[in-house]
This record gives sequence, structure tokens and C-alpha cells, in this order.
Amino acid sequence: MAEQRVSIYSLRLRSLVSVLLLLSAWELAARMHLTPPLFLPPFSVVAMQLGRSLADGTLVADLALSLYRTFAGLALAAAAGVLIGMLMAQSRFVHWMIDPIVALAFPAPKIAFIPVFILWFGIESLSKILLVAFACVFPVIIGTYSAARSVNRIFLWSAFSLGTSKTALLGRVILPACYPRIFATLRIALPVALITTFTAEMVAGGGGMGATLIYSQRFFESPTVYAYIVIMLCVGLVLDAAMVKFQSRYLAWSE
Amino acid sequence: MMPRPYFKGWLLRVVPLLLLVGVWAFVSATKLADPAFLPSPLAVLAAFSDLLSGGEIARNLLITLFRAAVGLVLGAVSGVWIGLMMARSQIFRAYVAPIVGGTYSLPKSALIPLFALWFGIGNVTAICAVYLACLLPMIVNTFHGVTATPKVLTWSAEALGTGDREMLSRIYLRHALPDIFTGLRIALGFSFVLAISSEMIASTSGIGKLVFMYGENGTYDYMFGALSCIVIVAFLADRAMLAVTAYCLRWHESAARAETA
Repeated sequence: MAEQRVSIYSLRLRSLVSVLLLLSAWELAARMHLTPPLFLPPFSVVAMQLGRSLADGTLVADLALSLYRTFAGLALAAAAGVLIGMLMAQSRFVHWMIDPIVALAFPAPKIAFIPVFILWFGIESLSKILLVAFACVFPVIIGTYSAARSVNRIFLWSAFSLGTSKTALLGRVILPACYPRIFATLRIALPVALITTFTAEMVAGGGGMGATLIYSQRFFESPTVYAYIVIMLCVGLVLDAAMVKFQSRYLAWSE
Repeated sequence: MMPRPYFKGWLLRVVPLLLLVGVWAFVSATKLADPAFLPSPLAVLAAFSDLLSGGEIARNLLITLFRAAVGLVLGAVSGVWIGLMMARSQIFRAYVAPIVGGTYSLPKSALIPLFALWFGIGNVTAICAVYLACLLPMIVNTFHGVTATPKVLTWSAEALGTGDREMLSRIYLRHALPDIFTGLRIALGFSFVLAISSEMIASTSGIGKLVFMYGENGTYDYMFGALSCIVIVAFLADRAMLAVTAYCLRWHESAARAETA
């Protein structure tokens, strides 16, 4: 660690000061017309717009739709990814079949497939959910596979010597042993799911946070643009904090 | 810990991909899927070679790669610097940490409309989006790598009279190098995603715009042709990054493990 000895309170204070400085610099720059108000509306105006969007329910409806798409896609990716990853770890034939496809698809920017998903599944929720699932499934496959390959041998031998059947071994030993790493992978996949949802909504429309954001930008309603970005920032923070909380509460045994 | 390959040789790794193309050809030949929605592999191949020979792909791909590369390099350089500063100075960390923590989980594509408002459509917007998306994983990974430097290393170096500047480059950054490369691989993926997203949202050029335009015009064989080009380029870039990482870290213990595995 660094050499300086600084009390924890003075560090906390500095963190608070840093955020306040940023917000007041924003407010001041906008109020002093250093930038056109179209580019940077004052923070107070954005906060008021945020309150209005919350009060008339548009923000809540957009957020609910976006989160529904994000989590439906993530759930699909988790189910399919865990299944495929487990099969790959159990059977060398499945591994041989799937591995090259995963290797090719994993680094591909899945967002480029938006036009294909629009073509096949329309512009409503279905195409977005499937695109999110497509973007998240490959990290889940890789995470599950490598977790299942590295299950402690001693668990397997103990289960075998106690007469556990092969299917019971999978469900009662291997899968539970993989939970922590699968969850860690889902924590990585969640921001990917959010980015994919918002971007797909921005490009294809069909409602949701991203669609409203891009409409507000096209009609130069800057306070709404900023208000929605602030909400997206909070959503990312809250969801990640919730996952960390869940991890330390239910998966602490893996530490 | 890879399992013993089912069949040997990388050529056999291509077989499943060819099988996939075979299924695709079968589905489109037997009209199981409407050919308007899924053009046959041959039609896509023809479109692909037409795009290649016409220079359409090369021109737009170069624009996209330029945007992704500039954003990635700027993001990597400033990310390493900020991460190093955060790890070495408590006061700097106190100021910067809430901003990094707050923006880390922000879906960076949300900022594209904002950048479009500020900088108009085109290069600057795309580069800014790529830059921010690459910056944060680089900061976080560098920070972790530097803070995890074992005391034994720093004490030994100090005892041998290593100066402050040399400590940074020869001890802290050197120890963080594997983490920095992990961050770089994540950033590389983000750079493609953000460059293509911002082209679809706010641009008149680039490979993302090209795919989107063919999709809107209904020339689906060309859309799939351009799309397969993106997949191939992203795959090659990822492999190149892995090769560079393996070369740069050949002294590291992770390299020895890879060899024995």
C-alpha cells in the first residue's frame, strides 16, 4: 500500500468532495453558459426532469421493459450456457463439436447481429431477448465448462466410493460445485446484457430506455437524455451491488 | 486443463464449423427456412467475394478498425496510468475511485447519443465511446495487478537501491503485466462492440453502418457477407492478442503452465 498515512475519514471526505466537485462544476459550467444549454443543461434542470419522468410513469415503464428484456435474455443464456457447458465437460464428442463454434463466436461483437435478429424476430421484445441471450451465452458456456473441468477430484472419488450414480453425481456434486464460478460468470455477463439491451433499443426502437434516450436526443431534449443516462448509471451500480451481496450471502462457502 | 482432443490436429477443429455450414445449406436448399430470411451459403459467399473485390468491405472495415484502434490505444495508455496512480496514492484513489466505480458498470453505449449531441456523427463520437469503454477495464485490472505486488518484491528491490521511477516500471508495472493483458483482451472486445454500436446509431460509414444498411435495404446476402467478415476479423484480432500476450509473458509462470498442460 501507499506510504502516506491518511485517516479513513479524510479519505471518505475526499471521495465525497470529488463527487460534489464534479456536480458543481457541471452546474456552474452550464449556468455560466460556458457550453450551450443544449449540450449541457444544468444538473438541477436534469434532476427536475428526472423527477418529472418518474412522476408521470414513463421512466418506470421504460425501465421495466428494458430490465425484463435484460433478465429474460440473461436467464435464457444461463440455462442454455450451463447445459451446453456441462455437456461439453462430460462428453469429449460434444466438446469436439461445440468448441470450435464457441471459439469463433466468443470474440465476435454480437451487437453487429442486430439486423439479423430484427429480420428473423421483428423489432419487439423477442428479438432483443434473443440477442441478449446470444451475446451472453458464450461466456456462460466457457465459465461453466472450465468450472466443471476443475471440480476437486476428491469430491468425485468420495461420491463414487459412496456409490453415487453418474446422473446423481452430475446433479448433486458437479453442478453445486460449479455454482460459485457460474455465478461469477453471470456477474460478468450482466453488464454485457445491459449494453446489448440498451444498444438494441437505440438501434431498432421498440420502446425501452434506449429507445426513449435516442428519441430525446433526436428531438434535442437534452435534460431527458441526461436524466436517462443517470438512471442507466444507477441501474448498473445497483444491480452489480445486488449481485455482490447475493454472492457473499449465499456463495460464501466457496471462499 | 484441456481434455485430450477427440480427434487430433487443428484441421479437424474446422469440421464442426463445416457441418454447421452444411446444415445451413440443407435448410436453405430444402426451403425449410424462407430463403428471403436465410440466403444460402453460396449466395452469401458470392456477396462476400463481390464485397471484397469491390473494395466496399476494405474501405468500411478500415474506418471501423481505425476508430476501434485509436480508442483502444488511448484507453489502454491512460487506463494503465490512472490504475497505477490509484494503486500508488491513497489520496488520488480517494478522489478518483467513486467516479471509476460509478462509471464502471454504466453501459457505455448509453453515452453514444450524448457524444453524438456534442461531436456530431462520425469519428470523434465513435472514438470517444470506444475510449471510455476501454478505459475502465484497463484501470481496474492495472489497479488490481499493482496492488497485488508482493511485499517481498518491493522490499528486495528497495534494499538493492532501486529508485522510485525504476520501482514503477521494473517492479509494479512488471508485476501487473499479466493483469494488464487480461484488461487489454476485455478492452479489445469492447472496442469492436462500441465502434460497431456507434456506427449503427450515429455514423454514415464503417462496417457496422454497412451491415445495418444492407439489412434495411433487404439485400440480406450482402448483410450476411459483411457480418461474416466482422466475425472473422474479430476472431483474428482476438487470436493475435492472445499470441502477443503469450510472447510478452513468456517469462511469466503462467507461460510455463500453458506449456506443460
